[in-house]
Amino acid sequence: MAQSGDRSPTARLGLLDATMVGMGAMIGAGIFVLTGLAAEIAGPAAILVFALNGVVTVLTGISYAELASAIPKSGGGYVFVREVFSGPTSFLMGWMLSFAYMIAGALYALGFSSNFVEFVHLYWAGLPTGPVWHILYALTVVGLFALLNAVSTEASGGAETVVTIIKIIILLVFAGFGAFAVEGSNFEPFFAKDDSSVAILKAMGLTFIAFEGYDLIATVTEEVENPRENIPKAIFISLVATVAIYLIVVWVAIGTLGAEELGRAGETGIAEAATSFMPTIPLLGEGAALIVFGAVFSTVSALNAVVIASSRVVFAMGREDQLPNPLGQISARFGTPLAAVVVSAAVMLGSVVFLPIEQVGRVSSLFFLVSFVVVNWSVIRLRNRRPNMRRPFEMPFYPAIPILAIVLNLVLAYFLLRDDPYTLVLGLGWIAIGGLVYAALQWRGAETARAET
Amino acid sequence: MSVSGKDLRIIIAGGGEVGFRTAEFLDERGHDVVVIERDPDRCQEIADEYVATIIEGDATLPDIFRQAGPERADVLAAMSDHPLTNLAVCMIGQRMNPDLHTVMRTDAETGDAHAELVDAVIYPRRASALLAVNAILSGDVRSLEHAMGVLDIAEVRIGEDAPVVGKVLDEISLPEGSLVVSDVEGARVARADTVMKAGQRYIVAAEPDVIEEVMRLLRG
Repeated sequence: MAQSGDRSPTARLGLLDATMVGMGAMIGAGIFVLTGLAAEIAGPAAILVFALNGVVTVLTGISYAELASAIPKSGGGYVFVREVFSGPTSFLMGWMLSFAYMIAGALYALGFSSNFVEFVHLYWAGLPTGPVWHILYALTVVGLFALLNAVSTEASGGAETVVTIIKIIILLVFAGFGAFAVEGSNFEPFFAKDDSSVAILKAMGLTFIAFEGYDLIATVTEEVENPRENIPKAIFISLVATVAIYLIVVWVAIGTLGAEELGRAGETGIAEAATSFMPTIPLLGEGAALIVFGAVFSTVSALNAVVIASSRVVFAMGREDQLPNPLGQISARFGTPLAAVVVSAAVMLGSVVFLPIEQVGRVSSLFFLVSFVVVNWSVIRLRNRRPNMRRPFEMPFYPAIPILAIVLNLVLAYFLLRDDPYTLVLGLGWIAIGGLVYAALQWRGAETARAET
Repeated sequence: MSVSGKDLRIIIAGGGEVGFRTAEFLDERGHDVVVIERDPDRCQEIADEYVATIIEGDATLPDIFRQAGPERADVLAAMSDHPLTNLAVCMIGQRMNPDLHTVMRTDAETGDAHAELVDAVIYPRRASALLAVNAILSGDVRSLEHAMGVLDIAEVRIGEDAPVVGKVLDEISLPEGSLVVSDVEGARVARADTVMKAGQRYIVAAEPDVIEEVMRLLRG
């Protein structure tokens, strides 16, 4: 029968699936693209950079867990803030968070093209390279995944779980072979320069987006089984496991290649480290191919995750009338938030073409830091305003955790901006555009209301 | 008040059987629900279902009621067993937000006595009695509610800006587990070339998992 429903409803996600949603977004993006950057600034202390970033992120993760367990709505950070704050604040939160995801997407797309070129060159040297080609590959991959998300509801939890497990296995293979090639001398001196603490804080701010993605778990809450228990668990497990994997991989990369060499390699750092020690594997040829393949595969799946994340925030804002209403509608043809996906992809494509990659990463980090401040603040405000609200997961050590998280996030934001006015200008510019959009929507809303009365 | 085309924010005072089921059905349709319930054990049970934000306490106390956010809510449904408690809650709600649409649960003895003070009065126990009559006198015709099990059969008015407006059923991709049953105003069985018209009513059947998505397609 033509009119009977023919699209499959979204699958239910168990604890493993929910954990993998978070790990899938966190692993792949940062680890391949940002390790080199951290090593360049902080030297071997890059390992400390990731460890400390992990601690800061876990603090905010605890706040996310409390909010997600008490507010049964999909949509993540934006939705929680919308519950607690006035219109302008929540709008700003959604505006920054969606943009942060979009530019993170641009960053991953560019990371993809570097690693993709590397991978193809292992087998066929004829693939054209150069800045223009890199951008072209990045645009293609963004377009492809936007299309995929536009025409079908996202891949079921099961598929994402398999993809993430493959990524983890590839990284463990890398770490397993690399561990034997680690040379202690590569960690000396451990701190790069005299002002090592500044270098570490700066590198932390720049690579903060590495642990971005666990909040995706909070955006899919309604699809998770027994969410009251599984959401907080999934957030913790995915964060702790990801931090552990990062530390092992960074340790191996620095120990085999040396921090300086790693910094020079940039986005392809992990791949180059692999080239130095991976044995030859039957069928694949050079063993490093496996790692480069892992990098390509991982950046692609992380890209997919942020396409979903950014369009979910845009969709939620559309439903709350904080963005034009069509963005909050699902397409009748495909059953997907088509308009929200198209808008997210358009901003990603624009960022790939018009913004330099480092700046792109910095603005993204800055916005994540600021929105995490707001999320922690929401926890405090909700505790004050709704003391009797049920909190199925109630954090220990309140209010120390959210206050500490706010302070640490602000410190990182400060060091990120300290000698980089361009990032601040870019960030403020985007916020100013948001202000205009908000004012225009308010004005139009008032007009419509007048027309109706 | 029109309830088509927008996600509503609804406060339900009283999380007993009736209040909780109401919250569950509203959540399935994509609305935001806040439940105020006094009994801690009952709060725990509702929290396990993850359909609403829960405020634990007595809804007739302004300090508790305020935590449900009445200033931003669209509808207040007072659903406890006690009509006078429900009336008090509706009065508090209207005082805190004059635009709040109030629904009061009552019983047969109290009847329509308070009807002019609230926007709607409902008698769940009378409805249950009618269902019992249906079951006792089961003949060839049975009430829809009784027959349908978990399946939700609803009459839906198509929102003005809904994604499906102006499309024929054949070009709309509804989720598996849903079906448009009847044509405009229930006059004809729907077929592939049935056009979805804004503002018109259609009978739709859907399984609980997909109701929210179906409502979003049809209402906007």
